[in-house]
Amino acid sequence: MNVIAKTYQKGEIPGVIAINASVCKGCDACKRHCPTGAITGMFGATHSIDVDLCLSCGQCLVNCPFGAPYETSDAVDTVISKLNDANVTVVGIIAPAVRVAIGEEFGMPAGSLVTGKLYGAMKKAGIEIFDNNFTADLTIMEEGSEFISRARHAVFGEKGENGEPIGPLPQFTSCCPAWVRFVETQYPSLIPHLSSAKSPQQMAGAVAKTYGAKVWGKPAEQIYTIGIMPCTAKKFEASRPEFKSAFEYQTHINKAKSETYADVDVVLTTRDLARLFKKMKIDLAKEQDYTPEILFAEYSGAGTIFGNTGGVMEAAVRTAYAVITGNELTDVEFKPVRGLKGVKSASVTLKDSKYDKEVTINLAVVHGIARNLKPVIDQVLAGTSPYHFIEVMNCPAGCINGGGQPIQKNGSSWIEAIRPWFAWK
Amino acid sequence: MSEQDYKYIENPLHITRREFITITGIITAFLALPSIWIRSVATANNDYIKARTKNLYQDDVQSKIRVSHANKSVARYYKEFGGKPLSRLSEELLHTKYINRTKALS
Repeated sequence: MNVIAKTYQKGEIPGVIAINASVCKGCDACKRHCPTGAITGMFGATHSIDVDLCLSCGQCLVNCPFGAPYETSDAVDTVISKLNDANVTVVGIIAPAVRVAIGEEFGMPAGSLVTGKLYGAMKKAGIEIFDNNFTADLTIMEEGSEFISRARHAVFGEKGENGEPIGPLPQFTSCCPAWVRFVETQYPSLIPHLSSAKSPQQMAGAVAKTYGAKVWGKPAEQIYTIGIMPCTAKKFEASRPEFKSAFEYQTHINKAKSETYADVDVVLTTRDLARLFKKMKIDLAKEQDYTPEILFAEYSGAGTIFGNTGGVMEAAVRTAYAVITGNELTDVEFKPVRGLKGVKSASVTLKDSKYDKEVTINLAVVHGIARNLKPVIDQVLAGTSPYHFIEVMNCPAGCINGGGQPIQKNGSSWIEAIRPWFAWK
Repeated sequence: MSEQDYKYIENPLHITRREFITITGIITAFLALPSIWIRSVATANNDYIKARTKNLYQDDVQSKIRVSHANKSVARYYKEFGGKPLSRLSEELLHTKYINRTKALS
C-alpha cells in the first residue's frame, strides 16, 4: 500500500501492525479492543488499519480470534546474524512482563515465573543480560524526583535548581509508548503533563551504550541492544529518531567518530524471543536457573511490578514516601492501586520533612485506554482533575497483557468472537 | 378408509404425568448444560491475565530489596556516572521531549 503517513517522523516505523486481508473475516472483534478506532471496514468485510491513528499497541493482534493482524517488522534473523558476529556484543534488555509469559510458549502453565530459566537461555544464546527492571528502578529515581519537584513547585512554589521550567500537575507517567503516542496524536495540549523521563527501555539503551560500554569495556558502536518487550509499540518507540542520546554523548563528550546508531537497535516481542530460542534449538523449559553477576541484573521488587497495572504508581509511592518524609515505609505493599478495576484512585497524606508540612497526594491508575481513559482525561482538560499523579497503561491489566505477549486461545479473543453473533451485543 | 383407522388410542406411549415431568426436566437440564459451559469459559477468559499478575507480584515478594532507592547498582550508577536524578547528564541521557503529531510531520 502506498499510504502517506502524516503522524510519523522520518525514520520511524509507520505502524507496526497490519491486517492480513486473506485471513480477516470481518468479525469486528478487534474494533472493541482498538483504543483509537483505527480499524476501518464494515462488519463482514475485510478490515484495514489507519496507520495515522494506530498506536501499534497490538491489542487487536492478541485478541483476534482468527489471527489476522500481523507485525510488519521482524528482527529475529537480524539478531541471529548479530549473535554470530564475534565483533558485536548483543545486549538483551528484558522487560518485567516477559518473565511471567515466555514460559507459555514452551508449554509451561500460564503465568509461570521463569526469570532464572530466561537468564539461562539468554546466556546460552550468547546475549548479555541487562534487566529492564534495573532501569525501571532508574525510572523511579528520575520520574519520582520529577514528580516531587513538580509537587513542591505547585504547593510551596519551589523553583528548579538551575532555574529550569517545571511542568504542571497532574503528571502523567511516560513508560507506555502507546500512551505517549496517544497523547501526541490526540491530545497534544497535554504534552507538558507527561513526565519527561524516558521509558525504561530507552533509558536502558542509553545507559548500555554509555556507562555499560565502560562496564563491558567495549566501544559503544560494537554494542547491539535489543529490547525484549511484551509490546509491539516498543518497536515503534525504538525507531523514534530522537532516541540516539548515547551516540550524541559519545560524539560530543568522548569525541568518538562513528556512524549514527540508535539507543535501542531492535525490539523483539516475547513471541519473537521464543521464536529466536526455538530457531537456536534452546528449550527454555529445560534450562537451568542462572544468576548473572553483572550490576545491570540487580533489581528491586518495585522495578519488577512495572509490568502490572498500578505497578509504576506503587513503585513511585514506595520511593516518594521515603524521599518526602525521610522515613522508610514499614509495609511496602500499596494495595489500592492493585487489581483490575478500570480506574483506581488513592490518596496519600504524608509530612514533607523539608517544609515540615502535611501534604495530600491524589493518585489515579488507568489501564485500557479503549474503555477507561476518557473520563479521567476530560477532567484534566477541564482543569477539574482532583489527581496529582496519573499512571496510564494502554493495555488492559498492564504490560503483562501487552500486544507482544504469547496469544492465549482461551483469552478475550474467544468471548469477543461470540459477541458479534448477537444483534443486541 | 376402513373402520379400524378411526380407533382412538389414549396415551400410546404409556407415559404417566409424573414420567412426562421427569423426562421434560431431563431434557431441559441437558439444554441448560451448554449455558453453564459457556459461562465457565467466559469467567475463565482472563485467568491467564490473573496468573501473570499474581506471579509478577510474587517476584516482588521474593525480592531481597523492594524499593527502587535501595538498589545498590542504581546507587553505583549515579556515583560512578550519572551524578544524581535530574542532573545535567541525566537530563541528556534519561529524559526526552515529545512531539505534537497533530501537525503534519512528513
